[in-house]
Amino acid sequence: MRTLKTLLVVWLGLTALLLSHVPAAFAHGERAQMPQLRMRAVHWIDVQVSTAKLGVNDIVKISGKFMPSEYWPHHVNSIEDTAYLNIGVPGPSFVRLDSRVNGVPMIRSTSFRRGELYDFEIVLKARRPGRYHVHTVINVEGTGPIIGPGTWVEVTGDPAAFENTATTLLGQTIDLENYGFGNVKWWSALWFAMGLAWFVYWLTKCPIAIPRFKRASELGPDADQMITPMDRRMGGIFLALTLTLIAGGYVYAQEKWPITTPLQTGKIDVPPLEQPTSPVSVRLIEARYRIPGRSFRLELEVSNKGDSPVNVGEFAAGNLRFINARILNVQPRDEHDLVAPDALRVEGAPVAPGETRRVVLYADDAMWETERMTTMIASPDAVVAGLLFFFDGRGRRYMVEFGGPMIPDFGMVKT
Amino acid sequence: MKVDKMPLPPAQTELRATEVGLTSAAEQHRAYVQADLLIIPLIVMLFMGIFSFHFALLVGDWDYWVDWRDRRWWPLVTPLALTVLPGVFGYLLWEKLRLPLGASLTILCLTLAAWISRYLNFHLFADFPMNFVWPSTYIGLGLIIDCLLLLTRSFFWTGLFGGFAFGLLVYPLNWPLLAPFQVPVELHGTMLTVADLMGYEYIRTAIPEYVRIIEESTLRTFGEAVTPLTAVFAGFLNIMNYWFWLWIGYLGSKAIWIRKIV
Repeated sequence: MRTLKTLLVVWLGLTALLLSHVPAAFAHGERAQMPQLRMRAVHWIDVQVSTAKLGVNDIVKISGKFMPSEYWPHHVNSIEDTAYLNIGVPGPSFVRLDSRVNGVPMIRSTSFRRGELYDFEIVLKARRPGRYHVHTVINVEGTGPIIGPGTWVEVTGDPAAFENTATTLLGQTIDLENYGFGNVKWWSALWFAMGLAWFVYWLTKCPIAIPRFKRASELGPDADQMITPMDRRMGGIFLALTLTLIAGGYVYAQEKWPITTPLQTGKIDVPPLEQPTSPVSVRLIEARYRIPGRSFRLELEVSNKGDSPVNVGEFAAGNLRFINARILNVQPRDEHDLVAPDALRVEGAPVAPGETRRVVLYADDAMWETERMTTMIASPDAVVAGLLFFFDGRGRRYMVEFGGPMIPDFGMVKT
Repeated sequence: MKVDKMPLPPAQTELRATEVGLTSAAEQHRAYVQADLLIIPLIVMLFMGIFSFHFALLVGDWDYWVDWRDRRWWPLVTPLALTVLPGVFGYLLWEKLRLPLGASLTILCLTLAAWISRYLNFHLFADFPMNFVWPSTYIGLGLIIDCLLLLTRSFFWTGLFGGFAFGLLVYPLNWPLLAPFQVPVELHGTMLTVADLMGYEYIRTAIPEYVRIIEESTLRTFGEAVTPLTAVFAGFLNIMNYWFWLWIGYLGSKAIWIRKIV
């Protein structure tokens, strides 16, 4: 007994210790997604959040662009089949009032074409106070959620003050927080009471378990003798009551809500944005990821058909942004914004107008490790992709996607 | 346990005390009541646990969210999955105890567990409004099966009429709860039901719109009669389904599999 008590105390102590050290889960699993999928699924561009602090009932808008990658992995379902623009927040801490891609409402599912550019905007209304990491997400059927960049948004205020109403096509204004629930509670309670009454009727015969088991075993094929006329009467009453209630409930609902429609679904078509022809083109010559140095080396052939020299200002892959500080000044918005403000080294640029030359990029940052991108070496096809942002002398930006095979460098061979 | 209520010759007292624990009708009654007090709550908790898991695995989202309960799949999938425990335990309780409680008690336990889970997990923890995640009601279906078994005392007729009604009546039984959520609304030039609107507004990151299986099937010959057609089809399927699970209950009661293992 004493040993048992000791064991109980130890178990309770360990449980309390574990529970007191459980870290809060803020992320949405973006690090767990395989790097190839992150790099080659959807490129998110210029994602903006209208405010980082708001009150309950206030509006926050998330906007930007995205481009499904031309290098979409063949071993997963394509975004060109079925996809849905979504938002990644912990539960319904916000309600989604609107979401659009190229101006088309994204209430229903759709599909997006690889290599095309899309504008998006999502309008959220704050529902519950808290600090949330809000992500854009595109769910792809058969592939899963492709998670975009996240931003911390803080909601303050009283959750009880939250309001969310809608007007039906019959002209009735309803509160979506509790509409129809009184009705649900009433009918559920009624049926529960019916079921409980039936159970209690048989419980009145207690003790039932052992005596009835013994009696049924003794009677064998004649065990029906255990059923009394009163039991049969109760069976008839309950059956009649049940069927009457089902029929009555149905008629009542038809009378009260005569106009209803079936659940709505379907796919909607979204035409892509028209993109101006870029004067810059890129061919990947070699991509090497040096694991010990967390260094990504890209050797590219860059052609500039424009009228001004171009240089690489940013390399973006898998929601990680490596900035060439000589060209751009981009600072992280918060502690989890995946921006490395001075982590891109460029050799061989700028590329003059009409010139084609070899440019080497070095994207060196611990983010490769902390965001678990190093597991790209475990890909089934060892292909990487990313976006390069070129800037010319007049500040114009040209966006080019590149992709191709990647060779890992384990640091075992001296070069 | 006391043995001194019924006087025995002193020489036999010790022997009888080891052979028979209960020596009077009152004591036996008390022991049976104590057994009920132990067994019945355990059975209720067992039904709550296994039916919740079973239903979560086979029906899951169809019962979790109000915007999943369509006219074709929900009334078809639900009775087929819901009949399993009423069939198996219905057989055991009737055959071993002559209690017509298998269907109604298992479904009552499922309902209780579902309400607890929706309130604690979906509402308090995940913050969804209760009017979006309420569990459907199926207790009436269990009562039909149990009452028919009691009245006919036949698994054949219970399966034929009760199994059919079990599949047929899922939709009308729930219609008083569901109808207000299928009133039409408009959002940004798109017609939706109130349930669709709630599904759109109350964000579920891992449940995109396309995951729902809404009206996906053929058999459009009967035009608008989608619900009755599905209900009758579900009813016919459920006759066989109910008999099958009764048979599984019969196998379980024979415990042949235990003998094979041991």
